[in-house]
Amino acid sequence: MVSVRERDFKISVSTTHVDAGEVVFRDRNLGPDAHELIVVRSDRAGLRLRADGMTVDEDGLEKLIVGALEPGSAGETRELRVLLVPGTYTLLCNMYGHYMGGMHSTLVVA
Amino acid sequence: MRLAPRSGFTPFAQRTRFPVIAIVVTFAVASSANVLLSIWSTSKSRNQATVVEVAARQRTLVERYVQQVLLVRGGSEADPGVTASLLRASVRALLDGGTVPAVEGDDDETAIAGETDARIRAQLLEQERLIVDLAAAGRAYLAGEPLSNLRLTGHERLSSRSDVFRLRTIAALTSNVSLDAARAIAAQTDANVSGSIDLQLALGLVGMVISVLLATALVATTRRQTAHFRSLVTASTDLVVVLAAGRCAYTSSSVEKLTGRSHRELEGRRLFEFVHPEDREALLGAESHEARQVVFRMRTAAGEWRYLEGRVTDLTGDRHVRGVVVNARDVTERVTLEQELTRQAQRDSFGSKLGEALEMADDERGTYDVVSRAMAEISTASPMELLLSDSSRAHLEQAAVNPEAGAPGCPVESPFSCFAVRRGSAIVFESSEALNACPKLRNREGGPCSAVCVPISFMGRSLGVLHATGPEGVVPHPEQVVQLSTLATQAGSRIGTVRAFERTQLQAQTDALTGLINRRTLEEELRRMMRDEIPFALALVDLDRFKLVNDTHGHEAGDRSLRTFAHVVRTMLREDDHIARWGGEEFLIALPHSDIEGAVDVMNRIRASLANVLQGGHVVFTASFGVTDSTRAESLQDLIRLADRGLYAAKAGGRDRVVVGGPIEDPTDVLYSER
Repeated sequence: MVSVRERDFKISVSTTHVDAGEVVFRDRNLGPDAHELIVVRSDRAGLRLRADGMTVDEDGLEKLIVGALEPGSAGETRELRVLLVPGTYTLLCNMYGHYMGGMHSTLVVA
Repeated sequence: MRLAPRSGFTPFAQRTRFPVIAIVVTFAVASSANVLLSIWSTSKSRNQATVVEVAARQRTLVERYVQQVLLVRGGSEADPGVTASLLRASVRALLDGGTVPAVEGDDDETAIAGETDARIRAQLLEQERLIVDLAAAGRAYLAGEPLSNLRLTGHERLSSRSDVFRLRTIAALTSNVSLDAARAIAAQTDANVSGSIDLQLALGLVGMVISVLLATALVATTRRQTAHFRSLVTASTDLVVVLAAGRCAYTSSSVEKLTGRSHRELEGRRLFEFVHPEDREALLGAESHEARQVVFRMRTAAGEWRYLEGRVTDLTGDRHVRGVVVNARDVTERVTLEQELTRQAQRDSFGSKLGEALEMADDERGTYDVVSRAMAEISTASPMELLLSDSSRAHLEQAAVNPEAGAPGCPVESPFSCFAVRRGSAIVFESSEALNACPKLRNREGGPCSAVCVPISFMGRSLGVLHATGPEGVVPHPEQVVQLSTLATQAGSRIGTVRAFERTQLQAQTDALTGLINRRTLEEELRRMMRDEIPFALALVDLDRFKLVNDTHGHEAGDRSLRTFAHVVRTMLREDDHIARWGGEEFLIALPHSDIEGAVDVMNRIRASLANVLQGGHVVFTASFGVTDSTRAESLQDLIRLADRGLYAAKAGGRDRVVVGGPIEDPTDVLYSER
């Protein structure tokens, strides 16, 4: 169980390293705005952006996205269960400008 | 056990008032609550729409701000500062309420209420911080200062790519946060609206349920009241008829008991069809008056008339009735009794008037006159006659006739051939042609007829018959029969009394020695009979050799002989016959309704009886008789002269015999007065 806290405009993860296998993210949105949570494998540095330059190109990353939670309101707590193989992952909110505003965090799976 | 009045039974109470008022109040409260709610929610949503609009507008303004900054940087004319202050003022207004400034070319200045929801307020506060950051970034960018030195308030962390990118990132965040807030506000408005709709629905539902319950209570109460009234009307023996345009629109169930006719038979038909023609006008008249009482007759299914006492009330103007109401009850028994009493009184008055009139009549002629007038009183149309038997009781003679309608002319001659007399009680014949009708009614001058025959008697002895006729087949009214009976009884009683009185008067004027009436009295009676044209026979009697009896046996014996003769004659005569001491040893005998032959016969029997009585006695004497009758002369004087002539002839012929007096014209005539 990995505890994730999202707020304007920051994602905090309770740990930086987890063991490979099934991982449950308990995602709590502290608001005040709505946020989503996308878990993407990001061994290569940096994620490709869309043409607007403000959002990550999810379509391009499709194979690398291991899990996602749709936008949730402030105060909500949700769980995301994923199977993680060893590697480096980025947790991010891809709402307009949120990623660029700082809502991303790195997790290493060993 | 005492029966206390039931307080629970109040059919006239206005108990329906409560449910009606409650229903109205419930509807009013529910409806006005709904209306108020609608007004409130409508005004609120209008306000909310403005709020949503303002919230959504922020995104556009953010983008416009960035464009303006870039335009200014590129050397074009623009005023991003105005847009920045617009953004700030708008978010301020969204937070705390107040005036939202106008956007040139777009919106007008509007006033909105502040946001109260904590979550949305947090979003708006974040938005405000980002707007501050954005404005600061814009100013720095235009001033050519590096944005990395900016002190950011909105928790954003900017990448180090370029100042433009930093500016755009802040703008993107501001725009996104604005969108998020606008969405939240819109969602909240939706929730409010649907909440208000739910509330309206609930209110309507509650109002409806309460109304249905109250309506049920109202219906139950009304039903109970209707049942009360129905049972009152049904239990009542009174007849209730509601007339609409003269036709029965409603009849109470008692109509069946009263008239034997069913509701169905009456309803839709004119009430007048069943009302006696004579009473229709009275009933119509009652209609025009306010609740007037009227007695009318109604024909039952069996065809008899029932008397109803009714009250007619015009309720045409009353929307609950819309008709003329006839309330009636059966008063047949009362009316019948009243009529009987009236008849009784009339009869009594007839009887008492007749009694008084008869009392004033002091002789038979006067009595007959009263009877005639009484006949006219009983009926002016019915021929009537009073037939009385004479002293011989062998003949019936007409004594009185209805002066208005004449005499029926019954051919009966003797009392014994009158069936009513034989029967001794009144008899009514409906038709002279019936098999069992009196034969003397047939072949009358006036043709077939109906008849009443009432025998008249006194002290059990028949005096005659009172006879009346009418149209054939019409039974005389029972009242008439009763009056005829009264007349017969009273007239019989009076005639008997008068006759007895007259006899008594005659007897009062008697000869002291013989007990016979005196000469003057008999003369009066004979004159009366002649005046009344009553036929009679006369016999003048003289005792033979009476002087010798006196001389031989003394005056005592003479007186005794006179008494003996008087007694013998008396026993031989009928009641109505008369004998008077005419003077000395002479007697006059009068036989009403008799003639010479009858008188000769009677005298011979007297002669024989005298001989028989005297046989073997000391004093033996005979008598000579001179006979005549009222047909032989016009005056009493002449008649007595004729009788005297017979007596003279009897004496001359050798005494102890009966001789009929010859005609006055006879040259051998010897006047009685001359003796």
